[in-house]
Amino acid sequence: MATDITLLWASGSHACWRVMIALEEKNLQGYNQKQLYFEKGEHKSKEVLEINPRGQLPAFKCGDLPLNESCAACFHLECKYKSQGTKLIPDCEDEKALILQRVFEVNALTEKSSIVLYYNWIVPEGERHDSAVKRNKEALTAELKLWEGYLQKASSGFIVGKNFSLADVIVYPAVAYLFQNGLSEQRYPKLAEYYKGLMNRPSIKASWPPTWKNAPKQETLKDI
Amino acid sequence: MAKLMSLLWGAGSPPCWRVMITLEEKKLQGYKRKLLSFEKGEHKSQEVLEVNPRGQLPAFKHGDIILNESCATCLYLENQFKSQGIKLIPDSAEDQAVMYQRMMEGLALTDKLNSVIYYDCSVPEEERHDSAVKRNKEALTAELKLWEGYLENVSAGSYLAGAFSLADVIVFPSIACAFRFGLSVGRYPKLAKYYSLLKNRASIKTTWPPHWVASPQGYDILKDL
Repeated sequence: MATDITLLWASGSHACWRVMIALEEKNLQGYNQKQLYFEKGEHKSKEVLEINPRGQLPAFKCGDLPLNESCAACFHLECKYKSQGTKLIPDCEDEKALILQRVFEVNALTEKSSIVLYYNWIVPEGERHDSAVKRNKEALTAELKLWEGYLQKASSGFIVGKNFSLADVIVYPAVAYLFQNGLSEQRYPKLAEYYKGLMNRPSIKASWPPTWKNAPKQETLKDI
Repeated sequence: MAKLMSLLWGAGSPPCWRVMITLEEKKLQGYKRKLLSFEKGEHKSQEVLEVNPRGQLPAFKHGDIILNESCATCLYLENQFKSQGIKLIPDSAEDQAVMYQRMMEGLALTDKLNSVIYYDCSVPEEERHDSAVKRNKEALTAELKLWEGYLENVSAGSYLAGAFSLADVIVFPSIACAFRFGLSVGRYPKLAKYYSLLKNRASIKTTWPPHWVASPQGYDILKDL
């Protein structure tokens, strides 16, 4: 029941976005939700800490169950609401395995993107090194080449198989994030095609980060 | 069935250990396996790259299916072999949700452990800072306190999500690593109890890192945490 579900979220957080896409796909619109702002430190507020002692977003509850890890929330939603909305985990064994593989591989992509995008926030001034910045950019480039390769083998506009799946729920926000931050569409044509191809899917359009709608794109990743 | 499975693994690696525990729990002994050496760089060999282009272990195959992310492999094995061996995903929706939550949080625990234990391996000498080491240790301490809280009521048969489950498969290896590297039993009594309750579980004992058996004396990097 959507009214048993509560989500505290922030615009542009790919982890929050995944949960919102899953909720849309499972026809659970109408859930209780509140947008918070990292810039105001609201992720460390009492309201969040009561659900998520880590002080991170998403802070998500299904009934009394806190499920703050976005992948855990998505798995749970698919299991609990299997018979409604889009089937996010198919029956085909090979596809299921590849979906699981991609879902967990995304961590590598989001970590490598974050350390490049947020280097100056994550690393205190006295610890920053050009050599580290260079290495992080090279690691991200290698990671993006892997995903470009995965999409070259994918044929239907989805990351796995012929249908939208849990892998797309988890992967799409990470990819959209890259282009929002200036990743070159020419250098990564398959990633760009994936990004544009799913942009207007109802669940993705409905949950598109509001702060991106009128804001200019950043350019941080344009040279990657 | 197990004969169609192969695993390339490295000793002491929690992700490899997770897969091996699952294979034991699901009664899939008899899979092909090969122990490789991180020190000799064998994880970057052609043999690994053919299965895992990331050059990481574990690298796992079941027929033509390739699964190199340990959580993915464990979930896959439990779903494929639900009806044999131990049930690793609980039936109740509540316990399942806790299981998924703890599994994913287990990845944060592993990362924070790695950032302390393997600091010198992952950070070039000229980029190392005492301030970073201190910060990583503080983050790890906060993380361990969370897990100490999750295990408040730990007892035989009552682990991270009720009965032994994938949450324990994913998390136990990292807890074992923490004690191997000197974590204080006195300061983390619940974690210590969890560790001692599970270390003799058949699947865990059988797959215990061989070099830990050979030299039971560990290290003390974490003793002051």
